[in-house]
Amino acid sequence: MPPVIDKRKCQGCGLCALYCPLDVLEMRDGISNVRYPKECWHCGACRQDCAQGAVTIEFLPVMLSV
Amino acid sequence: MTGWFAGKTHRVSADVVIIGGGTAGLNAAMAAAQSGAKVLVVDKAHIMRSGAIAGGIDHFFAYMNTGPSWDTRETYLEFVSKVARGASNVRIHEKVYCDELSAALERMEKIGVTLKNKEGKYFRTQAIGQPGPIAINFNGKFLKPAMAKEVLRLGCKVLNRVQVTKLFVRDGQLVGFCGWDMRTGDFYEVQAKAIIIATGNTNRMFKSQTANPFNLWYCPANTGDLHTAAYEAGVELANVEYVRLTIVPKGFSAPGFNAFFGMGAKLVNSLGQQFMTNYHPAGDRAPRHMMVWGALQEVKNGRGPIYVDVRHLKQKELEHLFFTLGIDKDTLPDFLMAKGYNTEGAMIELTVSEPMQARPSELCGSGIKVDINCMSNIPGIFAAGDASDQMGCLHMCVTGGFAAGKSAAAYAATVSDYQLLDDKALVEERSRIFAPLIRKAGMSYGELETIIRIIATDHLVMKTEMSLTTGIKKLDHLDMYREQLKADNFHELMRCHEAMNIQSVAKILAHAALARKESRFGPYHHRADFPETRDEFCGLMVVRKNGDDVGTRFEPLTYN
Repeated sequence: MPPVIDKRKCQGCGLCALYCPLDVLEMRDGISNVRYPKECWHCGACRQDCAQGAVTIEFLPVMLSV
Repeated sequence: MTGWFAGKTHRVSADVVIIGGGTAGLNAAMAAAQSGAKVLVVDKAHIMRSGAIAGGIDHFFAYMNTGPSWDTRETYLEFVSKVARGASNVRIHEKVYCDELSAALERMEKIGVTLKNKEGKYFRTQAIGQPGPIAINFNGKFLKPAMAKEVLRLGCKVLNRVQVTKLFVRDGQLVGFCGWDMRTGDFYEVQAKAIIIATGNTNRMFKSQTANPFNLWYCPANTGDLHTAAYEAGVELANVEYVRLTIVPKGFSAPGFNAFFGMGAKLVNSLGQQFMTNYHPAGDRAPRHMMVWGALQEVKNGRGPIYVDVRHLKQKELEHLFFTLGIDKDTLPDFLMAKGYNTEGAMIELTVSEPMQARPSELCGSGIKVDINCMSNIPGIFAAGDASDQMGCLHMCVTGGFAAGKSAAAYAATVSDYQLLDDKALVEERSRIFAPLIRKAGMSYGELETIIRIIATDHLVMKTEMSLTTGIKKLDHLDMYREQLKADNFHELMRCHEAMNIQSVAKILAHAALARKESRFGPYHHRADFPETRDEFCGLMVVRKNGDDVGTRFEPLTYN
């Protein structure tokens, strides 16, 4: 499910959740959490804004397999 | 869930309030602030990453007077008159684009986003019916945050995560509006001398290729919130009958069309044949609506799927193509790689995208009908960018947003004082906004949206009088579910209002499409009962609320 947060790398800066245009991300227990994965637009803003490289984008099978 | 009543109430005021902090909205804010106005920007997301170019943008259309005739204002306006005929008002186009263009190009450089490439040159390509290579390819990956920082530097105030739900107009003049913060539940009562609506087009109205309504070409957060609020307040809309489509990679509705065909890629059917010259003399550089028309015909006639063939491109061209695809849509190169394509050249499978309610051309808009000063029929209410009927695409959002900001600031300077908000109306609207949170049971926003999408896809894309009238009946019938919508948290509450706004715009679209008894812009407005383009419909179908009815009137446009 896009995006995927590497919880070991996330430092909890909160920028991804602050900026996400679809309100997909939230901060939970001090780190980023993907709350609404199905509502991701795949814009890549979270990945661009993450200084820790904690965000990867994974595409759903329905996108890759059709 | 803590109760909605726990939210605070804030009353704020500003000379010029911009609703929607995307490209047009932020350029409007810059202009209004530079004119000395007290400016507030209200955005449903966060201005650093909201709107259509949240993750990047790779092209800007500009004539640059370098010598050849295709690179002049005159040829550009001929192009507008030809490609956007019946939708674009050339007089407004000159004012909001041509007169603003050189300042806009300078402004982008000034805020730190150059349109030049690493060699210090403009890399220009030609596609979508353009008279020459007028599309500048540039690295706009950080254009959005750069514009947001400039707006903050100029002292504009910003309310992020606030969804505006209602405009207040008294005696034919703007009073203000209200909205709520989808992270805190706070309620905002706003007085304004002028507002600029810059909230983009309306998405999530039609079925998407992977059945996920958020896998869209354009921003899925744009749900016609202000088209609806403006319409309810008596604002006229135009160009709303159009249903826009494009051609996208199979599996991922992402932009890239302009980049592919601008670089000389070929559109082929599954027989490996280029086909576009059968539909338009410009072939693979035809206007977008004709490319979509051609693709639809090939599939309909059993020659699908369609592909973009880039195998003939040189390695350097391919490198540029994949680079620029990733500027326009940050994650598209990752997707293509994950799907097994590579930068060595490939036949990439494409499909016709989901429809969207939007402008029929890159050279106009769809929504609030604006005059030459970007003002609507209601004094004090302005519009810019894709949310207006005359602007669209990056080039016109940067130029036209600025034009709207100047006009709105000039208008606000003539208004002596703020008007009083109606307390009773505010209480009623606040109650309406939060009602889905207090229902114990009911329909989810997702269920309502799914029904809207099925109706809209079946009735509002390829149209006849019967398809539209039955579509309207079905959409009207959905009104009964509005009182049953249920939300478990603020995020779902925002989506509930979006679903209702999508339904409202779908109805408006259907009524406008019913009144346009012709076909125009290929598949963007195709009436099987009136398949020809007719001169008497060369102009705007203007829509306005008339009691409980959707009123329409026709306004002709003239071209040289």
